[in-house]
Amino acid sequence: MEKILLKNIDNPNSADIAEYMKAGGYQSLPKALGMQPKEIIEEVKKAGLRGRGGAGFPVAMKWTFASADPKFPKYLLCNADEGEPGTFKDRPILEKNPHLLIEGMAISGFALSAEYGYIYLRGEYPAAKDILNKAIAQAYEKGFLGDNVAGKGFKFHLAVHQGAGAYICGEETALIESLEGDKGQPRIKPPFPVNVGAFAKPTVVNNVETLSNLPYLIGIGGEAYAKIGSPDCPGPKIYCVSGHVEKPGVYELPMGTNLRDIIYTHCGGIKGGKKLKAVIPGGISTPILPPDKIDCAMDFVNMPKHGSMLGSGAVIVMDESVCLVKVCYRALKFFEHESCGKCTPCREGTGWLRKVLGRIENGQGMEGDIDLLQSIAGNMLGKTFCPLGDGAASVVQNFIKHFRPEFEAHIKNKACSTG
Amino acid sequence: MFSETAKKELEEIRLKYPNARAALLPALYLAQREFGWLSPEAYEAVSGILGVPKAIARGVGTFYAMYKHKPMGRNIVQLCTNVSCMILGAERLVDFLKNKYGLEPGGTSPDGRFSLVIMECIGACGTAPAMLVNDDFFENLTEKYIEEILEKYK
Amino acid sequence: MIKVTINGKEIELEKAVTVLEAAKSAGIKIPTLCWHQQLEKYGGCRLCLVEVEKMPRLQTACTLMVTDGMVVRTETEAIANVRRSVLEFLLINHPLDCPYCDKAGECELQDLVEKYGARAGRFTEEKRKVPESLEDPVLVRNMERCVVCTRCVRMCEGVQGAAALGVISRGGHSHIEPFSGGKFECEYCGNCVSVCPVGAIMSRLHRHSYRPWQLVSETETICPYCGVGCTLVAQVRDDVIKRVVPRIGTPVNNGLLCSRGRFGYEFVGSKERLTSPLIRKNGVLEESTWEEAISLVAKKLGEIKAKHGSDSIAGIASPRCTNEDNYVFQKFMRVTIGTNNIDSTARTGYAGAQAFIENIFGQGSTANLIPGLANSDVVLVAGGDPTAVNPILGLQIRACARRAGSILTIGHVKGLRHYSPVELRPALFRETLALEGIVSALRNKKGLPGSNQILEAKLKDINTTPQEAAGACGVAEKDFAVFVDRLSGAATPAIVIGKEIVQSSGGNYKLFLLAAINYLVNGRIYLLSERANEQGLLDMGCAPDLLPGYRPLAYAEFRKRYETAWKTAIPERPGLSIFGMIDAAKQGSLKAMYVMGENPVYNLPNSRDVEAALQKVDFLVVQDIFLTETAKLADVVLPALSWSEKSGTFTNMERRIQRVRKAVSREGMEDWRIIAEVARNMASKFHYTGAEEVFAEISKVSPLYRDLAYEEIEKGQSIYPYKGEPLRSTVEEISVDKGAGVVAASRFYLRLERPLFHSGTLSRKAAALVNIYSGALARLSTADAASLGVKDGDVVRVSTKIGSLELPVAVDGAVEQSVVMLTNNFEGKGAFCLAEYAVDPVTGAPVIDCNAVMIEKVER
Ligand SMILES: Cc1cc2nc3c(=O)[nH]c(=O)nc-3n(C[C@H](O)[C@H](O)[C@H](O)COP(=O)(O)O)c2cc1C
Ligand code: SF4
Ligand code: SF4
Ligand code: SF4
Ligand code: SF4
Ligand code: FES
Ligand code: FES
Repeated sequence: MEKILLKNIDNPNSADIAEYMKAGGYQSLPKALGMQPKEIIEEVKKAGLRGRGGAGFPVAMKWTFASADPKFPKYLLCNADEGEPGTFKDRPILEKNPHLLIEGMAISGFALSAEYGYIYLRGEYPAAKDILNKAIAQAYEKGFLGDNVAGKGFKFHLAVHQGAGAYICGEETALIESLEGDKGQPRIKPPFPVNVGAFAKPTVVNNVETLSNLPYLIGIGGEAYAKIGSPDCPGPKIYCVSGHVEKPGVYELPMGTNLRDIIYTHCGGIKGGKKLKAVIPGGISTPILPPDKIDCAMDFVNMPKHGSMLGSGAVIVMDESVCLVKVCYRALKFFEHESCGKCTPCREGTGWLRKVLGRIENGQGMEGDIDLLQSIAGNMLGKTFCPLGDGAASVVQNFIKHFRPEFEAHIKNKACSTG
Repeated sequence: MFSETAKKELEEIRLKYPNARAALLPALYLAQREFGWLSPEAYEAVSGILGVPKAIARGVGTFYAMYKHKPMGRNIVQLCTNVSCMILGAERLVDFLKNKYGLEPGGTSPDGRFSLVIMECIGACGTAPAMLVNDDFFENLTEKYIEEILEKYK
Repeated sequence: MIKVTINGKEIELEKAVTVLEAAKSAGIKIPTLCWHQQLEKYGGCRLCLVEVEKMPRLQTACTLMVTDGMVVRTETEAIANVRRSVLEFLLINHPLDCPYCDKAGECELQDLVEKYGARAGRFTEEKRKVPESLEDPVLVRNMERCVVCTRCVRMCEGVQGAAALGVISRGGHSHIEPFSGGKFECEYCGNCVSVCPVGAIMSRLHRHSYRPWQLVSETETICPYCGVGCTLVAQVRDDVIKRVVPRIGTPVNNGLLCSRGRFGYEFVGSKERLTSPLIRKNGVLEESTWEEAISLVAKKLGEIKAKHGSDSIAGIASPRCTNEDNYVFQKFMRVTIGTNNIDSTARTGYAGAQAFIENIFGQGSTANLIPGLANSDVVLVAGGDPTAVNPILGLQIRACARRAGSILTIGHVKGLRHYSPVELRPALFRETLALEGIVSALRNKKGLPGSNQILEAKLKDINTTPQEAAGACGVAEKDFAVFVDRLSGAATPAIVIGKEIVQSSGGNYKLFLLAAINYLVNGRIYLLSERANEQGLLDMGCAPDLLPGYRPLAYAEFRKRYETAWKTAIPERPGLSIFGMIDAAKQGSLKAMYVMGENPVYNLPNSRDVEAALQKVDFLVVQDIFLTETAKLADVVLPALSWSEKSGTFTNMERRIQRVRKAVSREGMEDWRIIAEVARNMASKFHYTGAEEVFAEISKVSPLYRDLAYEEIEKGQSIYPYKGEPLRSTVEEISVDKGAGVVAASRFYLRLERPLFHSGTLSRKAAALVNIYSGALARLSTADAASLGVKDGDVVRVSTKIGSLELPVAVDGAVEQSVVMLTNNFEGKGAFCLAEYAVDPVTGAPVIDCNAVMIEKVER
């Protein structure tokens, strides 16, 4: 497949507007500005574009809601918080192809009649901040942003808002809170951001990768776009693979590429020819899969049928040397650290889970601890304010579901048998 | 007190938002740069300029992991130990930093040269283990490579 | 109509409410913890989770709005498990030491665990350990007990508007801290204490001294401090007030209190209370009996009256005393003594300002409901900080701002600084120019309404240009225009006027200008009132020119009415104002004074001069609860029962009459009863069995209170003009005296700080308030402190023509340049001993803004 999102990134100057334009950039924006906003949304709908931030929500539907709300101004927020462990798919776009995102945001902004856009960039990406700011300045200079975008009378302003180290700010309402200068704690829904979002105005939040699809999508049209990848869930997808593979990294492939193919074909298989022990297919919050369950098409519709989720497309590959109790413990340490503290089950439950996992890992596990873990996780799942707490609970449940003997061995032997 | 340049910068940042409150996060970054960490004085300065009550500003500031609430070393080593980095040896690197530089997680080396902060995933899992030193990314870390890198930070 | 089914029960609702409220309306209780009726929705604790058909997840009843056809279940097995598990989560980091905790007995967590149970003992790790914070004098913070419901934070930020608390850190480390991490250094309203469901933030005043179930009685009464008239509940054990709490649903303060109301009650039980009458013998005050004291007073007053005439005697009434006390007192002065020489400290601002404004807009025009401020679209504040003087009224202004109303201020108002006020800060002595500018700009913009010719005639030739006005405030013309535009565009504006303006040079003219603004924008005026019954005492006729019912003495028909009722002639000649009394005392024409519940030697400007004047009076009677500066000069001191020891009524600044009730008992007599005793000893027929009977007489004799009895007052039917007749006044004349205008000639001028935590000399004896704000300070602006080379805590000598004080400096960003702010609250350090005054020719208020000050650093 030709590269769409990661096009040109091997060019050392790919972030420069001149290079981007040389490669055909900023041609879809004028085209889009010649269309009606509704027509753009219609194209996006035909394209079947789903959000790439993790939930796979149909983009056109979200946009339609926001457009229908009569309040102005509207805001378009780009979710560049990329905090899901294992995920590094947005970073190359931000650092190497920022104009693709900017063009995508200008198009989306026009489709939504949004006048202001912010890129909510995680604090851990300082380099991307400078690159984006520079690219935005260039885009202003060239008239692709500003009071009169591409001379078509459309006003769209864009700025970078830097996060400061909080995974929860990837959740869209927490992101809005954080943009508004508050703690990143999720908001009560409804009202949804499409009606009452940033600064109490209709707001659309989309992922970096999602928005970066727009220039290409508008360029070739929705129908043609829909021919790429899974019919249920079309388009290009950036998979980011880490852990024990020969060639970790980012891979732009058609949506729905088989997980086994990603690991064994594209990434050259397990590092050093070792045995595969487990795969987390979509970032740490998604259910872990044992080796015999990795023949699945990696898209939003198909993965749930295989007991997991596409999530952010962050594939973490673990070979036989890895202790999964320890991985589970580390994951819960992450959730404990990132729990925003708003709701009781997550605030108290993540720490409790981590503590119990910690003692099992340390060889101080007690009989009944696995049941305790499952009970705590069960008391969290479905009762938390936002999906972060659910994620934490489901990680524990799925690790135990697929690798219970390893937990049992830890408790019985009072030690780790791996490595 | 903020320096004049910082005040100017903040004024510009302020214009990016529909209200002053939204400029709080960038203002806290600026304050951190100006004061070295978010001391009570730093919060008072931000509060004074933006008109955000100081207790609220402090509540917001302490929510975020990247705002520092104690004095830091001259350079901040931010090492990821999340899963992808961990399974590729990040923990060994933590030990190495402890043994070689006297750096404890969350602590500062006795000479004040480095502070070590353990990070959650910093988006470099494909090139794990990884760290940021101040604003610079370093990936595919080994003990030897870390030594080379830290040489450059005085 | 919305139909929902909860637990099989069909409920019909007029409008969409939360599932929680819908359930409540049907008598179904859903447990809650983070929810609080005074606060914004949060949805964090998850105790209120319920099952809703067609919804995939459990839903929080406190946040979910009902929709038509919704089917909800709140009592399934699954829900019971969820509740238990949420409580289990809460308890893993919560100490299980209820017997030691002061909250036990009224702790929501304890109650929930009792009701829904929680598995215990599955958490075997160490609990979070946080030492209790006792760094604050008034509030105890125990973060081990905190359940992170954020009720305190939402209260402090979203309702109180002090924003003094924050949730620090996140996740399992979340906890609540004031900015300093230790001392609260906040507004000390204690409203966070009210809403904390557990024992995590508590009052220190009653720490470990009782248990909620040991309280013997709860008495609903009215706060003794300011003119807002908040309802509070005094909780008593062993005849001592243990705690004061508000109640949700009361008309003025609805579940809120300020620092004074909540923590200022300790004066009642002070050891320094007077216990028996004192008589000066050989120059010293000695204890005596009631009999001796009262007959001495009667005898002396009788003699002086006989020898020098009725008008050689004067009385000072009390804005801290009840209507009943004040009514009897003025009746005593008019009937028994036979003089109109009765006045009060209301003369220092409120009385004159009210008379002035109501002369223009009609009687009762300043009687506006306090909660109404929140619904105004613009609130203009001039002459003080409402959040300090009348805190609960101040909250309504903050609420207005929160509801997107505009706040406009003349001068910097510290308590509103976080509410994006549009400020005009006139330079020293240039306020008039700013106000004139506003008046002429509004007039030019909106034209004259034409309904009040007398007023219009007076404002026709005010022609201050926007340029001049802006110049006086040191702002650009366009900023001035913003101020004017907000005002002129207002649909429901309110103007809040504080004493500072009344007590400034040309005060009456400034009041006139504010009235003109009010007229041009068709607004409502609120006059800040510093004392609980300042309004009531005026209504009771404790003024040299007013009879009860706010009836002018000048009208023969009113006099007639009271003469009939009291069966005595009332002198026609108006009496002396309080300042007139001081002058007369100085000149020697005033021979006797009777001071009830007031401390003029401290509370009037030029206090040393007042002291000298009172020393000259042949016979001084002081009736008080403490041996005040004034009482120390007295020939006879009569100890009175205080607030909370007696019954009666107060009338607040809205002119709402409210019941003051006895909460604790003490030996002694109410003020009115003492006066009645004296009167009886002087052969007047004052026979009342209780306060209610006094009130019955008031409602009988005064047409304003016709048919008003305690019964109606208790039902809350006591809003002006009650069922009575307000006076229909027509403006005949608006007299204004601009005065000469002052030119700033000194480097510094004296200004009065009116602190939130104090109130005259009463709060000195309230230990908690003294702990919060314990000594007099000289407040200076940052720039002035720098130029004087002084910093916080340095001592300066502040001198005026008439005296000097040595005070520690407090550098305060909210203080204007070229002024030093002093309070008049601390013994021996009152600002008023430095302040000379002139009397405003129209309002009769003291003008105190011209006191030039010298400040020198005192080297140690
Ligand atoms: C705990 C949590 C973390 C999330 N983090 C991210 C993130 O880092 N980046 C992202 O794009 N979306 C993230 N999301 C998803 C967003 O809430 C939101 O669905 C997404 O930004 C919508 O964009 P999309 O429709 O383009 O995917 C997160 C969601 C949750 C619940
Ligand atoms: S589940 Fe609750 S505590 Fe956890 S991040 Fe979401 S809102 Fe915060
Ligand atoms: S006492 Fe009042 S001002 Fe102080 S923290 Fe509590 S709510 Fe806020
Ligand atoms: S201190 Fe009390 S009110 Fe505040 S969050 Fe904790 S438990 Fe809730
Ligand atoms: S506002 Fe006034 S009446 Fe209300 S509690 Fe405070 S001092 Fe008392
Ligand atoms: S896990 Fe270390 S960078 Fe992602
Ligand atoms: S009461 Fe509903 S979530 Fe707390």
